Amino acid sequence: MSAPRPPRPAERLLRALLPRGREADIIRGDLLEEFRRRGGDRGWYWREAVSTVVQRHRYRHMLTLDHLRHDLRCAWRTTTRKPGFTALVVLTLALGVGASTAIFSIVNGVLLRPLPLRDPDRLLWINEANRRGDTISVSWMNYVDWRARARTFDTLAASRPATFTLSGAGQARRLEGRTVTSNFLTALGTQPAIGRGFSEADERPGAAGVAVISHELWQRQFNGDPEVLGRTLMLSANPYTVVGVLPAGFRYLRPYDLFVALGPIAGAEWLLDRGNHQGFVVIGRLRNGISADAASSELRQIEQDLVREYMASASGLSVVTEPLASRLVKPIKDTLLVLFGAVGILLLIACLNVAGLLLARGAARQHEFAVRAALGGGRLRLATQLLVESTLLSTAGGALGVLLASVLLRALVAAAPAGTPRLDEVSLDTAALAFAALAATACGLLFGLMPAFQASSAGGQQVIVRTRTAGASAGSHRLRSVLLAVEVALALVLLAGAGLMVRTLGRLTSVDLGFSTDHVISARLQIPEAARDEARRVATLDAILSKVQSIPGVVSAGAGYSIPIEGSNWNSIFWPQDRPVPSRRDAIPSAAMIPVTPSYFEVIRARIVKGRAFSAADRAGAPRVVIVNETLAGRMWPGQDPIGKRLEQGWPETPGPWRDVVGVVADMKFEGITEGITMQVYLPFAQETTADFTLMARTAVDPASIAPAMRDAVGSVNRDMPLAGLGPMDVVLTDSIARPRMARLVLGVFAFVALMLASIGLFGLVAHAVTERRHEVGVRMALGATRAAIVRTLVAGGVATAVLGAAAGVGLAAVLTASLRGLLFGVEPFDPLTFGAVVAVLLGVATLACAIPAYRASRTGITTALRAD
Amino acid sequence: MPPAYLGEFEQQVLLVVFRLDGEAYGPAIGTELERRAGRRVSRGALYTTFDRLEDKGLLRWRTVPGTDARDGLPRRLYTVTAPGLAALRAAREVVRNLWDGLDSRLRKESGR
Repeated sequence: MSAPRPPRPAERLLRALLPRGREADIIRGDLLEEFRRRGGDRGWYWREAVSTVVQRHRYRHMLTLDHLRHDLRCAWRTTTRKPGFTALVVLTLALGVGASTAIFSIVNGVLLRPLPLRDPDRLLWINEANRRGDTISVSWMNYVDWRARARTFDTLAASRPATFTLSGAGQARRLEGRTVTSNFLTALGTQPAIGRGFSEADERPGAAGVAVISHELWQRQFNGDPEVLGRTLMLSANPYTVVGVLPAGFRYLRPYDLFVALGPIAGAEWLLDRGNHQGFVVIGRLRNGISADAASSELRQIEQDLVREYMASASGLSVVTEPLASRLVKPIKDTLLVLFGAVGILLLIACLNVAGLLLARGAARQHEFAVRAALGGGRLRLATQLLVESTLLSTAGGALGVLLASVLLRALVAAAPAGTPRLDEVSLDTAALAFAALAATACGLLFGLMPAFQASSAGGQQVIVRTRTAGASAGSHRLRSVLLAVEVALALVLLAGAGLMVRTLGRLTSVDLGFSTDHVISARLQIPEAARDEARRVATLDAILSKVQSIPGVVSAGAGYSIPIEGSNWNSIFWPQDRPVPSRRDAIPSAAMIPVTPSYFEVIRARIVKGRAFSAADRAGAPRVVIVNETLAGRMWPGQDPIGKRLEQGWPETPGPWRDVVGVVADMKFEGITEGITMQVYLPFAQETTADFTLMARTAVDPASIAPAMRDAVGSVNRDMPLAGLGPMDVVLTDSIARPRMARLVLGVFAFVALMLASIGLFGLVAHAVTERRHEVGVRMALGATRAAIVRTLVAGGVATAVLGAAAGVGLAAVLTASLRGLLFGVEPFDPLTFGAVVAVLLGVATLACAIPAYRASRTGITTALRAD
Repeated sequence: MPPAYLGEFEQQVLLVVFRLDGEAYGPAIGTELERRAGRRVSRGALYTTFDRLEDKGLLRWRTVPGTDARDGLPRRLYTVTAPGLAALRAAREVVRNLWDGLDSRLRKESGR
């Protein structure tokens, strides 16, 4: 019988964990021999193997654990002995970690986390582009051909925005939805939680209207009633049957109330016109193994074929594709990345500041370290102890930082521009906490290592021999100067960024808009389907205007299809009668077409610079008239009087109806403050009615206060006309610059904190130098140096550091502010005025921070100074 | 230099090594300890104690070739050094001093 073998894993354990060589062989031999003598007791072998490994480790490195406990106790004592110092370090860190964690949470929620859709990276967002390269919506007929010919997509779905008035269920409400093809939900990888999705039958011409509603609408409108399926909704006076309810939290681009199938409009003539781009956006789900590039090039090929086949209506078109995820966050991406960069810099400054503080204290404790080293404390042990200390500090700072982050995050989400995508997905989640932990740990290592390294290189005897205050070596002072110079440089970068945003906002708010939103209230309205013939539209709007006009506090009321800043809702090519028709179609000009009521210009205080405004006489049947803006007049009829000229809306080959130019209005920033001025044509609402329009009233009182009266006024004319976005028009203007505003706010706060931190650092540096040189100061004063001369000498070192840092900072900022370009308006990234001001502020504050301790030192009596040490 | 201070377990280990006289190696020491002191000895504790005694200079060893029973793995034979013997002697002296005059009293107390 062969001798029993001990359990293999236990043997492996021994082999792995005992020190290699003779000694391990002996122990293994002993255990083996005894194991056999005990008749192969495996339990015994296991027990003894483990005990041997554990006990020997404990003896050999005994001390690691003991040391750690000891270090922790020491660290605790050191940190609690100087509560002020500890608080400063912990707060600095909390600030850095807190701010960066908050911004990280937003960046993570909005930019990094995958969309809450199935395989979102396989979804492409597809549009068409015209000959000039402008992205335009997709023509339905082109989409139909894509769908039939493309082989690289599993699904190609189209959808267009649709706004409905929900009536017949209490107060009329405005619902935001999309008209979609039947494969839309499939393409996104979603199915209703209740009921069914759309079927192909729902998409056929003449099919009855069906709707899939959002979880939120289901809860809000139907109190989560499971019997909702099969119910009929009156949407803009058309019946739609509810067939499904989407899962909670489903989002496509933004929260929509509902999706309706294309059926009811499928056969419409305007849909079948290939030259008509009806607001469709196409979503494609890539076939497995197909790259986005391959799919895009296939679509481009198909589009080229279409352009060849349908010369007249598809001329010059091309396809634009983009991953859905990147499309979604495009508007905010730059801002967020800039803020993230800024917060990284702030974190670094906080770290450097703490490192500087610890370094200073390390220098003060050098005597202690030297004594300990002389008594046999290993360098490694000393360094370990310092690391334990810094870890303790960074843990505390990190914990406090997380608290701070949760507060900051709430404030930031509140301050974020309206319509920031995915903001509801932002939270202080595991990823954010992991980030905070990482940031705190990195800080701990960074600022702990430097003093640790320094301490471990302390030349023992040398330091002991020197006196205690002189113990702080010149080396540590130099290292601190370097740290501070870097800190100043980084602070300057933040200051420059903040300065540029301040200038941008200044420019934005001082732009001549050409209109005034002050004391104006506005709301978007839609005339119900039933009252949509031209005459009734005009009558309805007239009735509403006269009701609003009679509200106390209202000065004037008007309406228009589009309003400034929100931009034009209707752009069309037009042609002046007195100009020859060009041979190239793309040379035909295009302008914003804006039907307005006569008082529109008065309400927003637009100036008529030539001719007249519209009047009640410009009604349907009267001679057709238009008012053009200065830009259009200057471009179409340079040097001529535009009054009396004629133009038509539409293609030149179908002439007329011609409209007489009766007035010229001063240019308005119609498409947004930062946008250029487009050509604009204003038409009398009575001669060109629309079903949608914005109602506006200029008030003598606070515009918000008449909101209820305005709602009542509209309701008294037609119960089924909900007001959307009712509120002061100032808000529209403010919202339009929310991004630079947020950037200014955050960068401003960061820059201020950075400046404070750097100043505190400089203050500390000089104060420390003063302490070190007190004796020298005394000698100089005894020899007759003036107080001013003393202050100058002491300040010089600190200021030199600041100047060095500022110089480096200007260089760094010049590179980094280029990334701000997308956020700037009316100011260049390297703006000499801003940079000059920022450098001046920084150096001013720095000099002050240096002067205070120096001045105090110069007040010391000679004898006191000489007696030091 | 005064003799080293010995912990209780250290003292027991040293005594067993002394008793085994040239045949003291791991398993033998362990078994003998368990037999004489009547307590279970974890091998881990035993090896740590060897190390500590060796570090204090109370124990020394030499390596001899292994036997078949241990697949030829080498053995370590321990002997007590002169300072080890001194320490044992001192420990015995301490105990003896502490016991001095107490024997008769102990008998009386337990006979009661």
